[in-house]
Amino acid sequence: MTEPGALQPTPIRLVLVDDHRMFRSGVKAELDDSMVIVGEAADVDAAIVVVAQTRPDVVLLDVHLPGGNGNGGSDVITGSGGVTTESGAPVRFLALSVSDAAEDVIAVIRAGARGYVTKTIGGDDLTNAIRRVADGDAVFSPRLAGFVLDAFGAAAGEVAVIDEELDRLSTREREVMRLIARGYQYKEVAKELFISIKTVETHVSSVLRKLQLSSRYELTAWAVGRHLL
Amino acid sequence: MPYELSQPPIDHGDRQAVRRLERPAQGRYVGGVCAGLAEHLGLNVRQVRLAFVLACFAGGAGVAAYLFLWALTPQSLAGAAAPATQDLGEDRSARESLRNLVVGLGLLVAGGVLFAQQRGANLRLGVLLPLLTVAGGAVLAWSQLDDAERDRWLARSGEGRRAGLVRLGIGIALATVGVVVLATQGRGLVGLWDVGIAAVAVLAGAALIAAPWGVRLWGDLRVEQAQRIRETERADIAAHLHDSVLQTLALIQRKAGDPAEVVRLARAQERELRGWLYAGPRGSQASLASAVTEVAHEVEDLHGIPIELVITGDRPLDVAGTALVRALREALLNAVRHGAPPVSVYVEVGPAVVEAFVRDHGPGFDLSAVPPDRFGVRESILGRMTRQGGSAGVRRLEHGTEISLSLPMTLASGAAEKPGAAEEPGAADQPHTEGVR
Repeated sequence: MTEPGALQPTPIRLVLVDDHRMFRSGVKAELDDSMVIVGEAADVDAAIVVVAQTRPDVVLLDVHLPGGNGNGGSDVITGSGGVTTESGAPVRFLALSVSDAAEDVIAVIRAGARGYVTKTIGGDDLTNAIRRVADGDAVFSPRLAGFVLDAFGAAAGEVAVIDEELDRLSTREREVMRLIARGYQYKEVAKELFISIKTVETHVSSVLRKLQLSSRYELTAWAVGRHLL
Repeated sequence: MPYELSQPPIDHGDRQAVRRLERPAQGRYVGGVCAGLAEHLGLNVRQVRLAFVLACFAGGAGVAAYLFLWALTPQSLAGAAAPATQDLGEDRSARESLRNLVVGLGLLVAGGVLFAQQRGANLRLGVLLPLLTVAGGAVLAWSQLDDAERDRWLARSGEGRRAGLVRLGIGIALATVGVVVLATQGRGLVGLWDVGIAAVAVLAGAALIAAPWGVRLWGDLRVEQAQRIRETERADIAAHLHDSVLQTLALIQRKAGDPAEVVRLARAQERELRGWLYAGPRGSQASLASAVTEVAHEVEDLHGIPIELVITGDRPLDVAGTALVRALREALLNAVRHGAPPVSVYVEVGPAVVEAFVRDHGPGFDLSAVPPDRFGVRESILGRMTRQGGSAGVRRLEHGTEISLSLPMTLASGAAEKPGAAEEPGAADQPHTEGVR
């Protein structure tokens, strides 16, 4: 991982946090050489220690974890606030879940995760998602996109007048989310909308920011109702 | 006489001939003992009653027997569930029976005592009278425990309950007076002080000694209760896992050589388990979202190819919606047959239009190249949608094909009902998504 080859980019340093050992070894087997696992943890407290020690680029984080305050993955993110990699970039979190329950996913996203994928994701898709998160972009599964469209009223036709509005999606963001919900890859979205992949990533990151910061009534009430805020 | 009510069901086999001894709620004078006994033994009620009255003069044996039977005989359930229309009559008869009870008992006791005195027996009235008072009070108070009566009072607030409280109060007062008279035995109220203090001291001492034991017993009881609840839950979960997961695992082991079947089984089981674990209120079964979900699962089961389904919003299922669901099913079948996984479905239920997209990653097909006489796309999908005023399209992507369905919603068909799923927190929680791959 210290290989300074110009053509070979530095491998992404990963920490795996999951309380199922079988799943951890499964992920290890699927990852290619561009990633190296520098640490593993099986519960919240161990995860916070490992993240602080290893300062990885990306933490693959199970939504459901024992320990901490009982909030699973969200507790790891909160407990690792301010930890940066050696290059100074913040440690990024990619949430993994088997539960599919919107509340779990949204809680971990609002805690600061950069994306969400399900555990049944294929090896290539997982590698892509990790790489994207390591670059500071967001990863949305079709399901997460569907939730965002619902929660922001975009499916019902509500659209932000100005892009900065936190409680609504802009027209472009809505289009991107719809295409992701339809199962399009980022590059397919870009081709469909005649924009660059980078622009797609910008839109997705912007939606992620809104999802994390929005005080939209439904999101807030929904989260308060589940003691997430 | 409403004895038919108290008859047990006839299907008791060998026991059907023997009627259980129980006190009917109606047709009784005092406690229903005579009536119940007559019914049980197949005798005439009047004869039984006469026998009891006569027995009362034999040293009060009748009273004792009556009280004994009253305490041990259950009230007839059929009578307890007496219809509300008889409430007023019941009430009156209850009051009458109470009066009869008091007057009759008094007369009987007085007669018995006089009779005994005449025969020269020394009954020590100083002891007998307080004892009888205590017994009378106890009967009155205990009568509150009569199941059927208590139910009636609980069910009816106001007058009935107040009458019950009055009876309870009188009973307790009678018993107290009896105890006091018995305890003082002519020493006057001053003597009661000493007795009372001694009694209180003994009671307090007993309470002190028994308290820790009682508390521990109570705690044990609670622990045991909690444990039983947990065990019941565990048993429920175990039963469910056994019926579903274990069966599927056994099936998977047997069909290990057939990957498609294994995938299908695992997929169906996963869905079932998910539904069991995370099932929440999903609204009415006849919603568009649930219909789409059902169809997607059906196709998935049929072909063993995972379908990624995302639905936003929901609305009641109407004729146009049903057509859309059928067209969607055809599109899905097409995707799993001719396309390649992953197959994605996105259904967006908007206020003005319902849109559905079915996308696969296969080589795709050209609609114009399809012979007009066969292919399901033309009739099953395009035809269905256009007949409902909607439209359908097929697009070839770089990887795969996408069929899009669009159905405009008129106000009449219910689009105004839900201006948007996000307006409804319940719907916003659950984007009706299944099987994210």
